[in-house]
Amino acid sequence: MATVTAAAPRVALPGFLHNRAARKLVLLAVAAAVLVPLAEARWAGGSWPHALTVDLSKPLADASDWVIDNRDSHPLFLYFFGYISNAVVLFVRVVYLGLLAAGWAGVTALGALVAWRVAGVRLALGTAAAFLACGVLGMWVPTMQTLALMVVAVLASAVVGVLLGLAAGLSDRLDRALRPVLDTMQVLPAFAYLLPVVLVFGIGVPAAVLATVVYAAPPMARLTALGLRGADPEVLEAVESLGATARQRLLTARIPLARKELLLGLNQTIMMALSMAVIASVIGAGGLGDRVYQALASVDVGAALAAGIPIVLLAVVLDRVTAAAGAGEDRSAPVQWAYAGAATVVVALASRLLGRLDWPASWTLNIAEPVNRAVDWMTAHLYSGVPYIGGTADWAGHFTTWILDPVRDGLQWLPWWSVLLLVATLAWLIGTWRTALTAVLAMAAIGVLGVWEPSLDTLSQVLAAVAVTLVLGFATGIAAARSDRFERVLRPVLDVFQTMPQFVYLIPVVALFGVGRAPAVAAAVVYALPAVVRITAQGLRQVDPAALESARSLGATGRQQLWQVQLPLARRSLLLAVNQGVVLVLAVVIIGGLVGGGALGYDVAFGLAQGDLATGLVAGAAIVGLGLVLDRVTQPTERRTTEGA
Amino acid sequence: MSTTAAPVFSVQGLWKVFGPKADRVPEDPELTGLEPAELRTRTGCTAAVRDVSFDVRKGEVFVVMGLSGSGKSTLVRCLTRLIEPTAGTIAIDGEDVRAMDRARLRELRRHRAAMVFQHFGLLPHRTVLDNVAYGLEIQGVRKTERRERAASVVAKVGLEGMEKRRPSQLSGGQRQRVGLARALAVDPEVLLFDEPFSALDPLIRRDMQDEVVRLHREEGRTMVFITHDLSEALKLGDRIALMRDGRVVQLGTPEEIVGSPADDYVREFVRDVPREQVMTVRTAMKPGGCGAADHPDALTPDAVVADAIRTVARNGRPACVVENGRCLGVVDHERLLGVVAGTEQLREAA
Repeated sequence: MATVTAAAPRVALPGFLHNRAARKLVLLAVAAAVLVPLAEARWAGGSWPHALTVDLSKPLADASDWVIDNRDSHPLFLYFFGYISNAVVLFVRVVYLGLLAAGWAGVTALGALVAWRVAGVRLALGTAAAFLACGVLGMWVPTMQTLALMVVAVLASAVVGVLLGLAAGLSDRLDRALRPVLDTMQVLPAFAYLLPVVLVFGIGVPAAVLATVVYAAPPMARLTALGLRGADPEVLEAVESLGATARQRLLTARIPLARKELLLGLNQTIMMALSMAVIASVIGAGGLGDRVYQALASVDVGAALAAGIPIVLLAVVLDRVTAAAGAGEDRSAPVQWAYAGAATVVVALASRLLGRLDWPASWTLNIAEPVNRAVDWMTAHLYSGVPYIGGTADWAGHFTTWILDPVRDGLQWLPWWSVLLLVATLAWLIGTWRTALTAVLAMAAIGVLGVWEPSLDTLSQVLAAVAVTLVLGFATGIAAARSDRFERVLRPVLDVFQTMPQFVYLIPVVALFGVGRAPAVAAAVVYALPAVVRITAQGLRQVDPAALESARSLGATGRQQLWQVQLPLARRSLLLAVNQGVVLVLAVVIIGGLVGGGALGYDVAFGLAQGDLATGLVAGAAIVGLGLVLDRVTQPTERRTTEGA
Repeated sequence: MSTTAAPVFSVQGLWKVFGPKADRVPEDPELTGLEPAELRTRTGCTAAVRDVSFDVRKGEVFVVMGLSGSGKSTLVRCLTRLIEPTAGTIAIDGEDVRAMDRARLRELRRHRAAMVFQHFGLLPHRTVLDNVAYGLEIQGVRKTERRERAASVVAKVGLEGMEKRRPSQLSGGQRQRVGLARALAVDPEVLLFDEPFSALDPLIRRDMQDEVVRLHREEGRTMVFITHDLSEALKLGDRIALMRDGRVVQLGTPEEIVGSPADDYVREFVRDVPREQVMTVRTAMKPGGCGAADHPDALTPDAVVADAIRTVARNGRPACVVENGRCLGVVDHERLLGVVAGTEQLREAA
């Protein structure tokens, strides 16, 4: 689209090889002409040749058996992992008991007072309402379980993240070493982290907490390093000119100057921790996520919703409160914090004396039943057979047979080398030879691991979901960029959608479409859409107003402005939107394995459920590979844009 | 101002070269003679400061002036080694700055030389008072004492009542007053100014210049002042070092710079300066006594030509230039017009 209109005149130039893209294509064609006949002669056929696979299931199964056998005896477990595991269990237990001892009134008061101090009265009321809603839905205890796990995981993530961030912020060498690792961790689906942790710690709370820490620490580390590096150099010079020591410089200037980034990092870490704490129910996290997981397993939408609503409420409250803390000036008045603490204690003691620690059973509202009735009604009336428009199940079925199946069969029919070639071409055209090489190696690794077919199945779902996401996302984004009113309406919706954990999206799609691949794709679309819309709209709005004005002064119509000025100039944002869309879609398509999405996600879930860690680990590695491929293929590089400009 | 006292800063043959293997450039006579562009193509290095020598005398305002890229900001940072010099010597009160270890260098920065920055360099998360007290905090001064001292400096620069504000709540001029107060609070021997008023509006800039003049008159503190603004340099400087491409092309009093430019570059630079505001009657007068016993409406030798014109025009006759009761010479219409027209210095050169 935009790129084509911009690139076409350049290709038509007489010196055709001077064009970068053309040069790359010619080089690739030459390489393919040499390598493909060789490959085809030796290992013909569509799927990845069996001769080139390495069967890891045996050694992995052995490793997993060894770990299970030695978990209680080997010194590595006794004196290292054992301590970590025990410490995690202990901390979670302490926090959990603390929350229970404070009682529902105490916790609600504490939450509201903290929100009041950092974010004002409105958010305080919202927080209180959210906690009470959790109680009313009969989810007080699971909410506290999730919260306890979150508190420990967030503290650990923040400590780990800040330490890594300090290292990367102060040392150039460590920054160069850490950055690619953190960048890559950021794009991997949450599911990929579960199995290695389970291998070491077994299923249970320690594994859940540690998986959460691994998943949630990178944003803290990245933003800490970013904040430290982004400090105004003249301020640092001024501090130095006054004779500050390195320690004074760090404590009185660099860290306070990075306050905004640190709090943003904390915000992201909390949101990611919540997302993961919910997903980690698959490996024994308990709490709200577990309720959703169990309910989804028996397609009990009502119960899933009753647990899902508290998750959403927690997410929104945590996000708003921490975001407000980051946006506001720091108004630390210790006295008021002391008042807040005292008030919490008073409320907790009062509720204890009144014998009202537990949420009163008579105050709960059972929404599962009416919801399930509604879902039953929907199933009966909307699933299929609605005149003219069909039904939701019909749509899902059509989507599967007309889009998902052909794409999957097409991908699996393609000779394996042509898939590699395709990956290489796309990645090199959009990025550099480096990203292309990483992508091709990652794709080849998937083949070597022997999970070519399920990976292509996952890939087909991702492609279908990305296509839908981009069509909807670009259209909505363009509309939002062109109409202020539409954007104002859209913004709060996007805000809420972007804070919700991935897991929650499975609930409504199961209600609407049942289980299968189509609902997984639908959940992925809904999850990825807000980011794509937002990035597109922002990119279009940031287009240089002078360029737009000059186009208008030449009499360009609205359509001409959009196609000839805004879209080409926003090219970088659009590519970023594609990249984000792909990464987010993959994350949810994988989780979709829990609701019948099959393929890699199912392998992981199956491996966990059956204790067959080898299958799960191989699938997990393939997810990592697929994540790398998809990210690198769509990753635009800095260099290219400067040259294009 | 005594000119005989030992210099505060003494800089000899100072070089700062950026780039790979910068050390070899000052040592190699073949490289030191190269033009900047040629040096860059030959070695990949940029010489920001090239073989600069000067003394800063106690109590004077020493101005380093030059256009952007002339190396003046690098030069002032070399004085306290915020930028490490490549070659040459720097001495403060006779003590070698380049030989100092880290602790001694910190001592220098904490107590002897404080700097005021172009973009203020304030800590946005601290109040005005805490920003001013920051240098004292670094030194380990107790909270109550440093607040007390900071408060008195805040008053001195005219920011009373704003102690509790944040830098973001201040105007540009007020922020630079905070920057100035922060430097003054540590009571340094020398104040270093790095283009402190370039980011300010013209009117506020003039206020701040007057503030510096006032502070200098009241305290007599030594100042090194970097600027790209010629009128600022002429207004504040006791002596001016004019820099171009890393070298000092002329060093002298404002009058010397305007009256007898060292080369065409300087001449071009000072062409539009209102000469009657800078030149003194000492240079304009015809030397030799007038012979009369008393000298009505006499001028001091340091009076600028503009004042002399007023006197001569009012009285309609030449005026005597008198110092300590002795008549040094006479200025008349012709002499004064020669200064204004710029023909004066041509005749001297001839």
